[in-house]
Parts: sequence; C-alpha cells; structure tokens
Amino acid sequence: MAGSANPNMVQPMLTPMQRASGANMQALNTYSNPAAAAQNMMNPYNQQVVDTTLRDVGNAAQIGMNTLDAQAQAAGAFGGSRHGIQGAEALKGYQQQALDKVGALRQQGYQQSMNNAFNAAQGLQSTGQQAFGMGNQLQQNQMQQGAMQQQMMQNLINSGKQQYAGFTGQPLQNLNTMMGTISAQPTMAGKETSFQPGLFNYLQFAAGLA
Amino acid sequence: MAKGGRESNDATMPAFFETALQQSIGMGQDAAAMPYAEYRGPDVAAFNPMQEAAFQNQQNAMNAFGMQGGQGGYMPTPVNAGGAIGYSSAPVYDQARQNLQTFSPATAEYIPSFGIDPVTGEMGSRAPDSQPVALEMTSAGRRGGK
Repeated sequence: MAGSANPNMVQPMLTPMQRASGANMQALNTYSNPAAAAQNMMNPYNQQVVDTTLRDVGNAAQIGMNTLDAQAQAAGAFGGSRHGIQGAEALKGYQQQALDKVGALRQQGYQQSMNNAFNAAQGLQSTGQQAFGMGNQLQQNQMQQGAMQQQMMQNLINSGKQQYAGFTGQPLQNLNTMMGTISAQPTMAGKETSFQPGLFNYLQFAAGLA
Repeated sequence: MAKGGRESNDATMPAFFETALQQSIGMGQDAAAMPYAEYRGPDVAAFNPMQEAAFQNQQNAMNAFGMQGGQGGYMPTPVNAGGAIGYSSAPVYDQARQNLQTFSPATAEYIPSFGIDPVTGEMGSRAPDSQPVALEMTSAGRRGGK
C-alpha cells in the first residue's frame, strides 16, 4: 500500500496560533454569511427530520387509502364515483397535512440552524481566543526562560572580562602599591647646606690673624 | 652672610629611599609606555537556542495570521570563548580604528606612539623612554622589560 494515505496516521499537530487563526477565520465566515452556515446545518436536518416526517405521512396516507379501498370493496362500491371522491378527499387531506408539517418543520429547522450557526461561531471565537491565549503564554514562558539563560551567560562573560581587566591593569596596580609604600614612609628628604669660601673670605680671615 | 663665597643647599635622602623612588619612577615610565590591550572576546551574551526557538515561534504565529514574520538573521556571528558564547565588539573596534586610519591617519599614528608597539615591543616615539631628559639622581634601579 505504498503511497496510500494511512487513515490511522496521526495528523501533524497544529500550533495554538494556527488553531486560533483557523477558528477566527471560520467564525468570520459564519458571521459574514450566516445563511450558508445555516444551510449546511439544514441538510442533515432535512434528511433526518423532514424526509422522515414526509415518509411517515406518506405511509399513513397509504394505510388510510388501503383502508378506504377495503371498505369500498366490502361495500361493493370499489371503483365507484363515491369511492373516487372519498379517495381524492383523503389524499388531499394527507397532502395538506404533509405540507403543513413540512412547512412548520422547515421553518423551525431554519430558525434552529441559524441559532446553531451563531452559537458555533461564538464557540469558535471562544476556542480561538483560548488557543491564542495559550500560544501567547507559552511564548512568554519561552522568552522568559531564554532570557534567564542569556543573563547567566552574560554574567559569565562579565566575570571573564573583569578578570582580563585585572590582568591588563596589573602593572598599574603594582605601581600604585609601590607608590603607596613610598608615600607611607616618614619624610626622608633633608637639606644639606654647604659653604665654599671665596677670595674675600680668605683675605678677611688673614686680616683677622694679623 | 657670606661674601665672595658660595653657599649651596642640596636635597638629601637615605640611599635606600632614593633607590626606591627612582625604581618607582622607572616603573611609572614603563607603565606609561604600556599600549592599549584590547579585549577581543565576547561582550554580550548571544541569543540561546530557546530564544531562537521563541523567535521562530513568534514568526510562525504571525504567519498563521497572514502577517509578515520578519524572518532572517540580524545579529553578527557570535564568538565562543571557553564555552561562553556572545557577540564581540572587537570587529566594531577594528572597523573604528580602520576608519580613523583612513580619515585621520595622523591621529591614528599619533595615539599609539605613546606606548610600545604591541606586536614588536619597539618603544613608541613619544613613550617616556624616548623623551630626551636625563635623570638627575643616580638610579640603582634597573630599566627595561622583564
């Protein structure tokens, strides 16, 4: 059976957004053309209710006609004008009954179908909204968890960059340590004053000796 | 008051302190010649698979409603540094330096001349060691690299 579709095969799952969009579209179609949606619902109603009723009335008419024929036969009047008139009247009554019933059923069915169509559209709207909400919530959760992971990675990168900055700044750190050590010492600088005598000083000294 | 002679005032300090001071100055001069050591690793954490999936889901969601999803890559290729995956600013830095070289070549040459050549180690023309000033004190400290 190669190539043939397997009816048991699981259909690919639609995403919540695809379901929401589909439901929204179907609801929109119903609201824009409710008669078409109602007509779709009328078809099975016609088959299951109206046609059955017609059959029932037809069967009842047949039984009534058979009874009429039997009575006419027993009376020896079968085929007579009286029998003919009775039969025609009986058929007319059954036809009228059938038309009345079918008319009422169709009106009732159409009304019900319209109501059902709008109810179905509202249900589609509701489920579509629900699917949209679920999809959005899942999206938000996914983004939130992704952001958490990204933040962790960012923290890791920041730590690595901090280490690198520590490495490249180490020479300045060493210099600061050295400068700090020096500046922490008491004042070491002093001043030494010296005097180198000149000729005048020597003459003054000699005069003092004389 | 001295007349005819010469009086001089000289600053004095202990030899060990003079040595330490000169060593500090030497260190300062060496540190002042240090070039810029750029960082070339990741700067900003890259989007992870979960975020990429979220982006794809969002695009699919918009497509489901007949809207444009905005498919396609936007961020640069992330770099991997020891398992940390992120976007690096190094290419932006390289491009900025290239632009400076193109439009302001004198500035581009001037700035690194204050430090050593980061590749060859050659002293820059405006580094402290290249300045024509002689030390007044006699240093016991060593100068140079390692």
